Amino acid sequence: MYMNRLLCAFVILVVLFVSMSSFAEENPTQTSAGQTTESQVPASASSTEEYKFEPSEIEKKPYHVGGYLEFRPILYGLDKENAFYKLKFFNRKEGNTTEDYDGRLWLEGSYEKGIVGFFLKTNLGLDHTYKGWDHETRIYEGYASLKPSSSLTIDFGKKVFNWGKGYAWNPVAFVDRPKDSDDPELPREGYIAATADYIKSFNGPLKTFSVSPILFPVYHRINDTFGEWNRLNFAGRIYGLLYDTDIDLLFLVGKSKTNRFGFDFSRNVTTNLEVHGEFAFIKNQQKTSVEDNGKVSMTQFDAKSLLLGIRYLSSMDTTYILEYYHNGTGYSASELQDFFSFTDKAFDVLQSTGKENLWKKAEGLFNGGYGRMNPGEDYVYLRISQKEPFNILYFTPALTTIMNFNDRSFSISPELLYEGFKNWEFRLKGMALIGSRGAEFGEKQNDYRIELRVRYYF
Amino acid sequence: MRNLMRILLALSVLITGVPAYAAIDGTQLLKEIDRNLNPESYEMYRKLINIEPSGRKMEYTFYSVKKGLDKIAGLFLAPASEKGRSTLRLGDNMWLYIPNVGKPIRITSLQSIIGGIFNNADILSLDYSAEYDVEKIEETGNEYLLYLKAKTKTVAYDRLKLWADKNKKIPTRIECLTEASMLIKTLYFKDIKDFGGGIVRPSVLETDSPLYKGYKSVMLFANIKQRDFKDEVFTLTYMPKMDSLRK
Repeated sequence: MYMNRLLCAFVILVVLFVSMSSFAEENPTQTSAGQTTESQVPASASSTEEYKFEPSEIEKKPYHVGGYLEFRPILYGLDKENAFYKLKFFNRKEGNTTEDYDGRLWLEGSYEKGIVGFFLKTNLGLDHTYKGWDHETRIYEGYASLKPSSSLTIDFGKKVFNWGKGYAWNPVAFVDRPKDSDDPELPREGYIAATADYIKSFNGPLKTFSVSPILFPVYHRINDTFGEWNRLNFAGRIYGLLYDTDIDLLFLVGKSKTNRFGFDFSRNVTTNLEVHGEFAFIKNQQKTSVEDNGKVSMTQFDAKSLLLGIRYLSSMDTTYILEYYHNGTGYSASELQDFFSFTDKAFDVLQSTGKENLWKKAEGLFNGGYGRMNPGEDYVYLRISQKEPFNILYFTPALTTIMNFNDRSFSISPELLYEGFKNWEFRLKGMALIGSRGAEFGEKQNDYRIELRVRYYF
Repeated sequence: MRNLMRILLALSVLITGVPAYAAIDGTQLLKEIDRNLNPESYEMYRKLINIEPSGRKMEYTFYSVKKGLDKIAGLFLAPASEKGRSTLRLGDNMWLYIPNVGKPIRITSLQSIIGGIFNNADILSLDYSAEYDVEKIEETGNEYLLYLKAKTKTVAYDRLKLWADKNKKIPTRIECLTEASMLIKTLYFKDIKDFGGGIVRPSVLETDSPLYKGYKSVMLFANIKQRDFKDEVFTLTYMPKMDSLRK
């Protein structure tokens, strides 16, 4: 506990120290010490202050280094009766709450000269959780890019593709890691691939057309968590802006995963209403499920996933994002309930006899399909955010809920975001998980979560 | 005699009764105003400043390129928290690319990607003549007053009242109104400057709004140059690569 607090204090001090200059820059009475050049804009007739626009502010350099420093303390309110608690904490004696202290240095760099560019995004993480200290040094993206013309780009290396139009989920993201639907804008790690983008523009109903083929290797130490090894897979995306609608056709074929195909679309219906959707077809999807007595079975079927969503801006500057997601590879309410019942039984056996067989089986199933972010079949996502209420600039409160539509359990997350200091971002977020025993959100390891996220961009 | 009287009457009506605006081609005048503000295809840098009643400021540096009547794209260069965000507008379609999100998302013209009084339609503005019809023109001293009506429902402001200097044919003030003529904001064009290449135009655009009492937003212009771009620059695929256009 002492170390935790020491770490917190240290990170806060570092962050404050690094950023003092940025606060100073916002002082309106302070003037630039730099020489003012011809781009300086003189004082306007009605204003006593002078606006400055220095050439150094728009000078292009061949390289770029930037990123952010993040500190994120999290408090979890645990529920010891829940299946996910047992699966994660079965051999530990935790109190009613547990704390995480996450620190992250996100570094981005690029160098471009002529038609060649190099791009790098790395995550340096230092976390203290109930397991103790942990750290991560990982390249999220790192690739070389060739741009022989404005129509053609060729990239080699580790890259995130970000397929799909959905905000919380992307069933057509065949070559991406899954999103965290609680925080969909978190950076994700890419995969190693060779890819090209060829773009062509037209006049007429089809304004843009692009083709993006991807060679996707899966070998030992190359994308080895993706699927079956020693395979070279082929993926691709065909995009068109047709009748003011974004349309993508996407596919992944090869032996590392079963073949899958999909399409997505997005369109602004009016100035304040956007609609989007995705459909994915996965051939020969395999699903492992368990009955409450522990009998495990595997089924194979063609899975169809669907996402439909809208983004609506009201006249009060309130943004609504509403999405429905049918996860064709997910578990029904009764399948999830069977798994939770089996986990309870396995835990009881472990506690009373010390025999680990059933418990190991439960853990294996948890680490397979049941433990993923959203293992259910049907979800509804709603996010309501209010821009600058009461004329408080750069302040955005929001409320997000994710509901498992099959068992009616849900999470609800209020958050307050403030970006009023240059290069600073403060976000306070809470989350309550509500559901009965045997329901997805009712069986998570915690009943609530409170987190503060402080970011300083540089 | 009666016929002569009729002819004289008709002539006098024609001479005195023709309103002033009939002598001016409103559409042509609006096109001239557009061309005096920017070349049809250009690149430019802007600094957007939001000023709070306390005097506290937030500044954003923005690079933008435009082609033809309906294609415009932009890239945030500063502050660090916004750097790399790019925007694209193709007619009524608008997208925002956020590096962390990694893909373009559709946005609407009434939203504001920077907060403050400027919304996306102000930042990614097309030619006025591309979005508005001239309903009527009045002459007030040294200025024309153009009453503009949006061509479609998808335009951010249904009506504009545009005051333009008669000699320079450059806007001095624009009131942005709703369909019910409620004032949303007023834009003030100030400090005319020679940017070179024959571009002489206001270098400062200020705005205030009755919806944001005490707040002000300012747009400073620099390095406006005529430049032609390939159509492929104005595509979703190109959004993450916009910085490569800068020289």
